[in-house]
Amino acid sequence: MFNALEVLEPTILERPLNELWQRISPLYSVNEEQWLSELLKLAEPTDAQLKASTDAATTLIQEVRKDDTSMSMIDSLLLEYSLDTKEGILLMCLAEALMRVPDKETADAFIKDRLSVADWASHAKNSDSFFVNASTWGLLLTGKIVTMDETKDGKPANLVNRMVNRVSEPVIRKAMNQAMKIMGHQFVLGRSISEALSRGKSYRDKGYTYSFDMLGEAALTASDADKYLKSYEQAIESVGKDTYSKGHRPTISIKLSALHPRYEVGCEERVMTELFESVKGLIAKARELNVGITIDAEEADRLELSLHLFEKLFRDDVTKGWGLFGLVVQAYSKRCLPVLNWLAALAKDVGDRIPLRLVKGAYWDSEIKLCQQRGLSGYPVYTRKEATDVSYLACAQFLLSSHTREWIFPQFASHNAHTIATIATIAENLGATTNEYEFQRLHGMGDALYNRLIKDKDVCVRIYAPVGSHKDLLPYLVRRLLENGANSSFVHRLVDASHPVEELTHHPVTTLKSRKTLGNPFINLPKDMFADRKNSYGPNIEIESEWKPFKASVDAFMGQDTQWTAYPIVGGKNLETDSIRDVNSPYDHSLAVGKVHWGTKDIVDQAIEIADAAYPTWSNTPATERAACLERMAELMEENYAELVAICHREAGKTIQDSIDEVREAVDFCNYYAQQVRQNFAAPITYKNYLGKEQSVQLTGRGVFACISPWNFPLAIFTGQVVAALAAGNTVVCKAAEQTSLIAYRAVQMLHQAGVPGEALHFLPGNGSTIGAPMTQNKRIAGLAFTGSTGTAQLINRTLASRGVAPVPVIAETGGQNAMLIDSTSLPEQVVRDAVRSAFASAGQRCSALRVLFVQADIADRVIPMIAGAMKEQTVGLPYLHSTDVGPVIDEKAQTMLLEHIEVMKKEGKLIAQSALPEWADKGTFVAPTAFEISSIDQLKDEKFGPIMHVVRYKAKDLDKVIDTINNSGFGLTMGVHSRNETTCARIAQRARVGNLYINRDQVGAVVGVQPFGGQGLSGTGPKAGGPHYLPRFAKEQLV
Amino acid sequence: MTIVKPIQIQAANNALEAWNSLGVQGRAELLENAVSKFSGAQASMAQWQLDNARHEIGEAVVLPGPTGESNVLSTHGRGAFLITAQDSFTSDSALVALVGQTFAALVAGNPVITVGQEGQTIMDKIAPFVAEGVIQNVATSAEESIVAAEDLAGIATLCDADHAQALYLKLANKSGLLCQLVEENDVDALPVIGAPHYILRFVTEQTVSNNTTAIGGNATLLELGSKEE
Repeated sequence: MFNALEVLEPTILERPLNELWQRISPLYSVNEEQWLSELLKLAEPTDAQLKASTDAATTLIQEVRKDDTSMSMIDSLLLEYSLDTKEGILLMCLAEALMRVPDKETADAFIKDRLSVADWASHAKNSDSFFVNASTWGLLLTGKIVTMDETKDGKPANLVNRMVNRVSEPVIRKAMNQAMKIMGHQFVLGRSISEALSRGKSYRDKGYTYSFDMLGEAALTASDADKYLKSYEQAIESVGKDTYSKGHRPTISIKLSALHPRYEVGCEERVMTELFESVKGLIAKARELNVGITIDAEEADRLELSLHLFEKLFRDDVTKGWGLFGLVVQAYSKRCLPVLNWLAALAKDVGDRIPLRLVKGAYWDSEIKLCQQRGLSGYPVYTRKEATDVSYLACAQFLLSSHTREWIFPQFASHNAHTIATIATIAENLGATTNEYEFQRLHGMGDALYNRLIKDKDVCVRIYAPVGSHKDLLPYLVRRLLENGANSSFVHRLVDASHPVEELTHHPVTTLKSRKTLGNPFINLPKDMFADRKNSYGPNIEIESEWKPFKASVDAFMGQDTQWTAYPIVGGKNLETDSIRDVNSPYDHSLAVGKVHWGTKDIVDQAIEIADAAYPTWSNTPATERAACLERMAELMEENYAELVAICHREAGKTIQDSIDEVREAVDFCNYYAQQVRQNFAAPITYKNYLGKEQSVQLTGRGVFACISPWNFPLAIFTGQVVAALAAGNTVVCKAAEQTSLIAYRAVQMLHQAGVPGEALHFLPGNGSTIGAPMTQNKRIAGLAFTGSTGTAQLINRTLASRGVAPVPVIAETGGQNAMLIDSTSLPEQVVRDAVRSAFASAGQRCSALRVLFVQADIADRVIPMIAGAMKEQTVGLPYLHSTDVGPVIDEKAQTMLLEHIEVMKKEGKLIAQSALPEWADKGTFVAPTAFEISSIDQLKDEKFGPIMHVVRYKAKDLDKVIDTINNSGFGLTMGVHSRNETTCARIAQRARVGNLYINRDQVGAVVGVQPFGGQGLSGTGPKAGGPHYLPRFAKEQLV
Repeated sequence: MTIVKPIQIQAANNALEAWNSLGVQGRAELLENAVSKFSGAQASMAQWQLDNARHEIGEAVVLPGPTGESNVLSTHGRGAFLITAQDSFTSDSALVALVGQTFAALVAGNPVITVGQEGQTIMDKIAPFVAEGVIQNVATSAEESIVAAEDLAGIATLCDADHAQALYLKLANKSGLLCQLVEENDVDALPVIGAPHYILRFVTEQTVSNNTTAIGGNATLLELGSKEE
């Protein structure tokens, strides 16, 4: 970790660029305490500086409070409908979705759903702002109705409920849409640049200038990206024609994710060529017309990629010597300071100054949530607001230093009076003139502060203003507002005269240092997310400092010189047999992975005999010791992460992220079941029986459990079944799918290494007839866990039942005909992203994968082409490459079945799209992701386990019929729902007979202990794997 | 092959959704009305099953996880359950077992079909308090057709080991879903029926995962982010 104070030394920019680059990535999720200790040194003011900034902030706030008319429309809205109230949130929910709903039925239902649960009326007439009142009146329809009802019973909380039920729905819908239009008008400066320039004139007369942004969702398709590119070009042309003569010229902000459908690290080659060319074209046009361009900041995962692209563009002749090509950097990022440092050195190296907007950062909550979901090493952002403020001031100190000012033109974006005042103070201290930096604010926010600042100081203030159609932008802006909901608190306190000024002028350094810890103790690191067990770890492959060492470690196992051999393991010993099978990679059958010695009936019988004899000892091993074995297994898998990932690639054809998720799931199973066995098996359960007599039962194993697992989760499901059976006190004989025995063999080796006795766990590789049949025919088998097809589960069940012994537990997870339902309130971009991932990730070879997408007819013509466009952007290829989205299917049998289905569907359905296959695809078993439109789920007789999505249109009024049809299929594994209408979601959840229901997200990737997984009906017996009821089914309750 | 679907199974399936939607508490409240119609050990067993269900599956479980999503695990009935006993099990204790099986299956959310005279007695006491189709009875002669029905979700039976084995084979040879066999062999001690986890044999589970930040704004995190020590 470098010394932050170093950046203040002018010689810092003399360092080699590569050396400065190397400082960025390691800080991705650096220990917050340590790094903040460094930054504090840089941000810490002297007593005199502290007094100066406090006085300046105090004066600014006092002046603002004197000005009654200075509060902007959006400030007013946030003040009235605070985002910490139910009404505030619901207003935003309506605004986010209502305008895109094309059909009356859904719109009416949505309005009713939102309005009937909030206390709108209490807000009536509370605000002095016309805009807020207009919204409120819009929401309450008319003052007449309000007055009448208030007079009658004075219970405003019930008001809207009754209105919604009483007033005709078209009137409400019209009023709501009008209210949303008013909001859109306030959030968006203009529908076009010319309208924005016209509306912005009054502010420019006051001394402001603008940075316009054609905001919107990220592009998912090439045509969307093309549309956004054209709109940026038009924007540049319009701004270029601007004839306003005073002040600074407006600029354009561009969002890279809108200009390319795959602006991702995995697609770096495309980004550095295709996206590079698009932005280069924009720069050329902008330079010709003298319109500055700023590249917006995006998610933390894309930071390093964006810097690579920026450097390439910045060094290009199209930019050289211009000085108006800039970018945005976020202070909440732990990497912010070294990024600024590198950019300043880059500017010096090239010889051009970089305009740089320093923002505190958007999507803070999303960044945290993603890290928690992915089990990452830490957070890329600070966990306290005051830590971000400290970082902001530390970075400002660097940006305003004389050696940096020469190469960076800093643009400080903030709506916080103290930050603004402190920046101005730092600038003065460092001798920066007001020509050497500027401030920026969002359209509609911070008017009061900046009106005052412009009056007091001759400094440029640029307004970041969204431009575009209200319908398209409102959802996006509302999400940003909600994501930055915490910002609204400052607006509250700023204008609330009862709130002491002193509390608004605390220096963040003082505040942060007053905390017991620099990091936020309420936000646990991803590894500590669960109170009673360790979360599994996942490396972030989007980050250079994590990706490079991870890749190197995996590559060590990827060469043909690394081969594995699996044997039956009986009594802890490898048994060589005569039946040796080659294992080849499904993506290239010429590549060997290893060999497997298949077991025989005799070996199966021998293993079961030993396991049976070992049962009493293992069963009597204290539950805590069994749990400890599982925890050691989890540790061993993480220690051998690279090897396991390599086998996932080579034997199962799994992509990089799928392989990481595979190891994580296996680790989670171990830690979760260890915790469960400690909790429920360590001591007897005492209760009163039905006669009122106290008695105790002890959960104990049943005997020898057979575990038969599939190839699609060759490590996770295999390990999950085996460790569950072992944890409950059973001895185990296990058979992995014949396609994926190598990784299972390694798992069994590790389990033995972790302390499970060789006599208690036996590995029996082979196929169904050589191993499965003798295993399930054996009378000593006391229970069975199986994951696979419904047909095989039935066959196994029959075999077990035919043995002439007492019934045993059969825990079967089987197939599905999984559906996703989307209505017209859903956001198409989210739907398409989630549907494509749910259907095609892992080449559709997940039990949970989406098979049938039901799209409300009113939006189908918009959603279906987007799906087609997104599918065209998918890369089918080698699973170990970062650029690959979809790998091979497991074997020729699966490939043939899927290709046959595609041919049938080409005749019976309508082809929507098919992703391209690589030229060399016939080296392995690839199936191109394919989507068909069909008329009914009834056209599908059984599950097609691969990358094939079927789409069915439905009418809103037929939702219940759709649910009935899905229920009637008999399967009941997963279902996805995309709707903003909570009533609709609740209705589907209540009616759908499925094991796992996912709302407003994808429907794959269940997490152990968080989303227990398993189906009902034809999809499985339960209990759910990774859930609290799973282990008891492996046990019996014995009276003690 | 003709698919066998007795009318009782159809009626049970028609009643399933509404019965399930009441939740454990709602069903237990209705069934509690029926408990008073039983006496002695039968009443105790019925009440115990309701109390045990409340304890074991009464509340949906909110599962821990990343902020910004909610994950809730709840239980539901599996479908039509046949409640039966081997002919030779006719003691008082056997009747207690039948009552226990019936109440466990019902409170878990399943419509049930009882059998014969004993079943009729049980049904008559419960039926007034539940909707049509939630509890039905068939004559002993019709039991086989129910067992053979493809849509039967499970059988709770009181029988000896041989009978259980034969029944298991019969169920396994059916097509369709894997029909659950919940058997009790010890009519005196009732170690299975009287154990806390017995209720779990009658349920299927559902996990509902809701991305609560789909429209933006992770309220939980924002609150934690600004929380004072």
